[in-house]
Amino acid sequence: MVQNESTARYDQPKSGKTLNGGRKEGLLQVGVGRAIAHHGELLQGVFEGEDGRLHRGLVTLPLAARKSTVTFWPNGEGAIRCRPANRKKAARAAALTFNHLGYSKVGGDLTLESDIPVGHGYGSSTADVIAAIRAAAAAAGVILRRSTVCKLAVEAEEASDAIAYGDQVVLFAHREGLILEHFGGEYPPLLVVGFRIGRARPIATLRLPRARYDGQEIEQFRVLRGLTSHAVRQQDPRLIGRVATASARISQHHLAKPRFEAAVKLAEEHGACGIQVAHSGTLLGVLFDADERGVAARAAVLAETLGQAGFLGIMTFTVNVDGTLLQ
Amino acid sequence: MSGGDDFLTTYETPRLARLAPNLFAACFSLMKILPARFMLERAQAAGRLQPGGPVAETTSGTFGLALAMLAAVRGFDLTLVSAASLLDETLRRRLEHLGAKVHVIDDPEGSGAQSERLNRLKEILEDCPETFWPQQYDNPDNRLAYGRLAEWMTRTIGRVDCLVGCVGSGGSLCGTGSFLREVFPDLTIIAVDTHRSVLFGHAPGRRLLRGLGNSIMPLNLRHEMVDEIHWVGAFPAFASALRLHHDHALFMGPTSGAAALVAAWYARRYPDALIGVIMPDEGHRYQHTIYDDRWLAVLEGWPIVVPHEPDTLTQVEARGESEWTRLFWDRKALRTMLEAERGA
Repeated sequence: MVQNESTARYDQPKSGKTLNGGRKEGLLQVGVGRAIAHHGELLQGVFEGEDGRLHRGLVTLPLAARKSTVTFWPNGEGAIRCRPANRKKAARAAALTFNHLGYSKVGGDLTLESDIPVGHGYGSSTADVIAAIRAAAAAAGVILRRSTVCKLAVEAEEASDAIAYGDQVVLFAHREGLILEHFGGEYPPLLVVGFRIGRARPIATLRLPRARYDGQEIEQFRVLRGLTSHAVRQQDPRLIGRVATASARISQHHLAKPRFEAAVKLAEEHGACGIQVAHSGTLLGVLFDADERGVAARAAVLAETLGQAGFLGIMTFTVNVDGTLLQ
Repeated sequence: MSGGDDFLTTYETPRLARLAPNLFAACFSLMKILPARFMLERAQAAGRLQPGGPVAETTSGTFGLALAMLAAVRGFDLTLVSAASLLDETLRRRLEHLGAKVHVIDDPEGSGAQSERLNRLKEILEDCPETFWPQQYDNPDNRLAYGRLAEWMTRTIGRVDCLVGCVGSGGSLCGTGSFLREVFPDLTIIAVDTHRSVLFGHAPGRRLLRGLGNSIMPLNLRHEMVDEIHWVGAFPAFASALRLHHDHALFMGPTSGAAALVAAWYARRYPDALIGVIMPDEGHRYQHTIYDDRWLAVLEGWPIVVPHEPDTLTQVEARGESEWTRLFWDRKALRTMLEAERGA
C-alpha cells in the first residue's frame, strides 16, 4: 500500500520569521501525503454497530495502481490555496488537520497530482482529501492514526471510504468515519478485471439519493458481513467473490447498472469468483483467485472479450498479491 | 449483538458442535428467543406494541417460554393460551414464575384444542385491541429473524452446501435457508418433519414427537425452497438425542436428535459437502421424558435400533413412530406435489 508520508525540511523563510500558527509554536515543513484509489466496494449496505443501531457501511476494494499525491507548502498565515483551484475539499481537509493538531490560521499552497479518473467510483475525491490530510500531518511532522484520518476525511467531505486502512479489511461507516468491524486481516489475494458500464458521464457521488434498504436486505447484509469475516480469516477469494456478487445484486435494486447480468454471465464463463461494483459509480470488477493456476491467461481473455463487447476503461490489477501470478 | 440491554441476546448465539469433519451443528439453549425478540422489536418499531404493552400468543412450547423470558426482562404483559395435554406442569410453573398469565384449555382427548385456543386468543384480542399477537406461524418477521443464524453460519462455517433443520413454523429453516441461498444458490435444503404432521402432506394424527411438525399449515413454511423432506418418527429422534448426549456430551432436545440423525446421514453420504444443522433447544425440558429410562421403557415399540439410513419414498406416506423416511421434494409447492400424486 502507498502510505509513505514523506517530509522535507522547508528552507527558513528569508525574513527569518517562524511559521507560527498562533496557538502552536513550531515550524511547519513541506509535507507530502499520498493516498490510493479504490475500485468501488466488495460490500456496501447497512450494518448493526456496537450501539445496536444500523449504520451505512462498506468494504472498499483498494486500487493501489492509481493514487493522489498532495504536497503542502507552508507560507505564513492566511488561507490555504489549492492547485488545481477547484479541489476545495482537499484544502478544507488540510485546514481541518492543522486545526486538529493545534495550529490555526495556517497559510500555504496545496498541490494535487492525481492519476485517478474523476466521477466513476474510483474514490478520486477521497484520495485527494486523505492525501491532503497526510500532507498536512507530514508538514507538522506527525503521523496520524488511521481512525483520525478517516474522521477528518468525513468532516471534510461528508462521506469517505476506508482507503486510509490500506491492506486491512474493515467494515467502514463511510458517513461517520467509524469502523464497524475490523476483520483482522488482509484482503484475500485477488486479480481484478475492472471496467466501466453504462453511463459515460461521471457521477457526483454525494448527490445520489441514499439507498433505502428493506428488512430482507438489511438482514441479508448481516450474512454478507459474516461471510466477509470468514473469507478474510481463511484468505478465501471464492467466498469474498460471493459476498461481492450478492452485494452487487442488492445494489441493482437501488442503482441499477445496465448490462449487469451480461457481465455476471461473462464472469461465470471465465471461472471468476464473483463480480463487484462501485455502488455509487459506474465501475464493475470481475474477481479472480490470484493464486489459481492459469488465472492471468483467463483474465486476459476476459479483458479482451469485454473490450469486444464494448465495455470501457478495462483495467487489470491485483490486490494483496506478491508480484507474480501463476501462469 | 443488539443493544446489549439484556443478557437474553446471548441466547441467540448458538454454540458450535462439530459432529463430523464436514458437519457443523448450531446448538441453541433456546432458539425461539431469536424470533421472539425480533418480532417484539419490529412490532415496537412499527408502533404495534408499546413499552410494557400487552402481548398474547397461543403456544405450548418453547416459543411461549421465549416470550415469557423476554416479557419478564422487558416488562411486557404476556398472556399465553395453551392446552392441558400439551403443557406439562413444570413448564406451566416456569411460565407463571416468569410473570406470564397462562390460560389452559382442557382437551381430555389430547387433541391440542387448536381451534379452542385460537378462539380464546381472539377473545383476548377483542377485549384488549392494543394487544400484540406475534403469530409466529404467519408473521414474516419470524423468517427475517434468522438472518442472525445465517450470519453465524457464514462466519463460522463459511461456505454452506447443505442446511438441515426441523420444521414447525418454517421460520428457522426457510429464514436461514433464504439468506444462505442468496450467497450459495446451490444450497441443498433438507426439512425434517415427523409422521402425521400436515406440513408436507400427511393427514393429521397423534404425534409422540413434539416441537416439530404441525397440525395446521403455517405461512412461514415455503415448500418451494425444500429439496428433500425427511419424516423422522419419535423413536429414532429420541434414540438420536440420547446418542448425541452419549457420544458428544450434547444435552439436546428430541427435535435436535431428529435433525442430527438426518444431518449425520447426509454428511456420511456426501463427505465433500459442508453441512449446517440447526439444533433448537437443550434437554432440560425432557429430563422426565426422553432422558428418563422408566418413561421410555413403557413406550410400545421402544427400544429400537436406529436405522442407518432412511427409507426413500416415492410418494407422501405416513409410517409408524419407529420409522425414518425421506422423499425428494425438488422445491415444489405443496399443491403441485399433492396434485402430481393424485394424477399419478
